[in-house]
Amino acid sequence: MKIRAIALNTFKEAIRDRILYLLLFFALICIAFSRLLALLTIGDRVKIIKDVGLASLSLFGALMAILIGTGLVYKEIDKKTIYTLLSKPILRYQFLLGKFLGLVLTLFIMLLLMSIIFLALIFFHTFTIEWQLLIAILFIFLELCLITSVALLFSCFSTPILSSIFTLSFYLIGHTAWGLETLIGKIKPGLGKVLAQGLYHFLPDLENFNFKTEIVHSLPIPASIFLYSTLYGVFYTLFVLTIALLIFRKKDFI
Amino acid sequence: MHIRLKSGKSFSTVFLVLFLILTCGVFMNLKIITDRIMRKKIPGSSIIYLPEGKYLKYGTFGYSSFMADLIYIWAIQYYSDYTIPDSYFYLYDIFEIIAELDPHYFDPIDMGAFIAAYEAQDVDLAVKILDMGLEKNPKEWFFPYQAAHYIQFMQKDHERAQEYYKTTMSIEGYPPIVRRLYANAIFKAMDYERALEQWLEIYNTAEDERTKKVASNHLYNIKATMDIEKLQEAIAKFKEKYGRYPADLSRLVSAGFLDSVPKDMDGKEYLYDSQTGEVKPPTIPWKR
Repeated sequence: MKIRAIALNTFKEAIRDRILYLLLFFALICIAFSRLLALLTIGDRVKIIKDVGLASLSLFGALMAILIGTGLVYKEIDKKTIYTLLSKPILRYQFLLGKFLGLVLTLFIMLLLMSIIFLALIFFHTFTIEWQLLIAILFIFLELCLITSVALLFSCFSTPILSSIFTLSFYLIGHTAWGLETLIGKIKPGLGKVLAQGLYHFLPDLENFNFKTEIVHSLPIPASIFLYSTLYGVFYTLFVLTIALLIFRKKDFI
Repeated sequence: MHIRLKSGKSFSTVFLVLFLILTCGVFMNLKIITDRIMRKKIPGSSIIYLPEGKYLKYGTFGYSSFMADLIYIWAIQYYSDYTIPDSYFYLYDIFEIIAELDPHYFDPIDMGAFIAAYEAQDVDLAVKILDMGLEKNPKEWFFPYQAAHYIQFMQKDHERAQEYYKTTMSIEGYPPIVRRLYANAIFKAMDYERALEQWLEIYNTAEDERTKKVASNHLYNIKATMDIEKLQEAIAKFKEKYGRYPADLSRLVSAGFLDSVPKDMDGKEYLYDSQTGEVKPPTIPWKR
């Protein structure tokens, strides 16, 4: 109940943030721009619209999660409202979870809005509603949940600017960490290789939530990957939230 | 009360740390599992992301050179994947995009032409890419030089190669080898008189002994080729009249087919086989 109240409050606070609408505006511009981009390309035009649309959803969704998420806890500390909140019978995990779920709800609504416009644009080109695109969008949402948890983690101990940089780095690492596999292949067996392998498995692999190419090309996707990727997302998010909670518990407010 | 609160907090901290280790272990294992699941990819599907260079340039926000680097690196990977069907179909477009983004970036143009010539086996496409390079860099002799090289040695079109060598020589800074290749292309096109003139000029203007020696050998070869051609013609006429090959080359003079028997540039007589009517130079030109 307390978590729900904090979540709803965070949601109300987030939807009043002007930066959210600015990002939404740019995301919609990008989705609409995909139509123009498709005219200039060599090759299949609808594929370009799908690619640019999904990329916009993913990129602007991540920016929303980063820019709003990194200020979530910091703002409460900075404005000293946290003292009022924590003096009430609210446990710290309830506060953090509430904040997390509130932003996740905001992102869900934003993603829903963008998806409706994106699917409508595709519909005007193909005259069919391509439901399979929803799978790609669903995994974008899972990725955004993980990014939100990371933003929240940094927000617990750092300023919004630094937190944004850290979370953005997490996002970039998450999408490029697969390259480590090539490096591991070139490292001679030994401690270095073991460390690299450990790092490879520990670093976030956001490509696990990237089904954009397969969906756009209608490639067969093994059903098991959906399950394992979802579990991966859930456990990684839980892992990050636990660290955030451990740090947040150490903070001396009252 | 305070002690109870403190012990409760320690217990929850231990629980959280254990939970942290558990979630870490689970997601690392899930990573191993997801890595094992093979996901299908369309080889070469990334090509559709490329807009035309002139439009892409506007979207790079001043980072056009950086974008050119990225596309070049991507192109190298793209053309290293031999499973992509019809990958050469967009070859020109890809390298045109790079040239459009960074016209002074020579490596991609050179590499694009190389892929076209050796991988796609399409010399005309290679020349088209190099022409584009020259169009964007009119003061760069390298592009027509490479084009001439492909045309001469892969397409064996010595006449067309001469045009590209001439273009190369019209640009400042071209290396001396271009003149020699040009003279060689003239010789290969069987225009011996002009080839002789070119090699003579190279010989007379050579700045080092090595070039002089190379030019001398070529002059020897051209003279020998011209002489042997003249001798073979006279031998053919002799055979037509007498029904046999002459016993030696001096018979061609006494029979009135030649004014004199030519000798090679070193004053040696040509080797003649009266059984086959074949004439050869007494020395291998490159071993003089």
